[in-house]
Amino acid sequence: MKENKTLNQKINELEESTDWFYSDKFNLDDAVTKYKTAISLAKEVQKDLDSLKNEIEVLAEDFSK
Amino acid sequence: MQDNLQFTPTEFISVVNQTLEYSYGSISLVGEVASFKVNQGKWVFFDIKDEESSVSCFMTLYQLRMPLEDGMKVEIRGVPKVTKWGKFSFTVTAIKPVGEGSIKKAYELLKKKLADEGLFDERKKRPLPTDLARIGVISSTNAAGYADFIKIINARWGGIKIQVAHTQVQGLDAPDQIIRALKYFNEKSEVQVIAVLRGGGSADDLSCFNDEKLVREIAASRIPVITGIGHEIDESLADLAADVRASTPSNAAEILTPDKNAIKLNIESMVLRLNNLIFEKIRAEKSEIQEKILRVVREIKNKIEVLDSDVKQKIKIIEALNPEKVLKQGYAILNGKISPGSVVKITTHKKEIKAEIKEIYERK
Repeated sequence: MKENKTLNQKINELEESTDWFYSDKFNLDDAVTKYKTAISLAKEVQKDLDSLKNEIEVLAEDFSK
Repeated sequence: MQDNLQFTPTEFISVVNQTLEYSYGSISLVGEVASFKVNQGKWVFFDIKDEESSVSCFMTLYQLRMPLEDGMKVEIRGVPKVTKWGKFSFTVTAIKPVGEGSIKKAYELLKKKLADEGLFDERKKRPLPTDLARIGVISSTNAAGYADFIKIINARWGGIKIQVAHTQVQGLDAPDQIIRALKYFNEKSEVQVIAVLRGGGSADDLSCFNDEKLVREIAASRIPVITGIGHEIDESLADLAADVRASTPSNAAEILTPDKNAIKLNIESMVLRLNNLIFEKIRAEKSEIQEKILRVVREIKNKIEVLDSDVKQKIKIIEALNPEKVLKQGYAILNGKISPGSVVKITTHKKEIKAEIKEIYERK
């Protein structure tokens, strides 16, 4: 089952996976897989950002009384 | 019209008060305060006057939500009334300073009082939540400031549930309405932050945000409060009591939310940097491998050269020792017993000779 992550979790995950490429852990053997994962996550985040909508509710309460 | 009506004093006062109430209901007066006094810590008396007339006013101390001094120009709202002693009085239900001088004076006096109580203490300010999902907004939905806030927040971020409490944001009724909205959010909602918003206006328009009760309510709010009131230069006591002060409603939206367009640009730039980084790493790796290959090739070549030279040297030595070469130089090889009378074999470059040894001498 696909895990439902929040947008912020995805952004944090993307940052972490990017950091790996600049760390001492970097190696070419793992880089291709990690790169594909990062790019896929980046696309997902951009798609999520494009589809973000706020929900605005004007309360029915009468605050004049 | 009836004439010669007969009343008892109580009836008469009651009829006059009913008539006043029927005729005027609630009215506002603007004038200068004189003879201000507080009795028994509960009752407030003052006159409100202009150049020609003066009206006696009465109110409870609880309703007085601004510092009052003689000479201040105020707007009061209330009902005219005749007391049981037959004295005409104006019962005040709301009061606010009007005119730049009075607004400033009331502002400074209340600011000092509340600051002394620690209401504006920076140590009490709470940080706003970063991962916002629910915001409570208190503003007039007809106000330009509210429209600006919604426009900016929708452009910057999404996925937030925004509950809006529509209230007046100027005038004598505004403070109480905003207080009710603050209480609503604190008691009945799950919002993570409350934004109190109002666009720019005159000092008079914004003076409701210096209402003492409202300022105290903001300071006491369980939920963190951000204010975006007026413009950058406008500072209200509500701003000072809030956890965070935004300079405008638009600025409040900017403080509350990250900018998705900036994030998208960052991601694009990150992908580009990642591509460059990978290419650079591959290029470096390739270059290192090529360098290694070259080194190995050079090494092998050197070894071959050394071996080749060694072999050539050995060939030269072998060649130098070749008996045929010695014979070519005119030498001969003698085989056989070296004694007088013996027959020996002499080999030259081109011939083989049998010879008898006649005599043997020692070399000198």
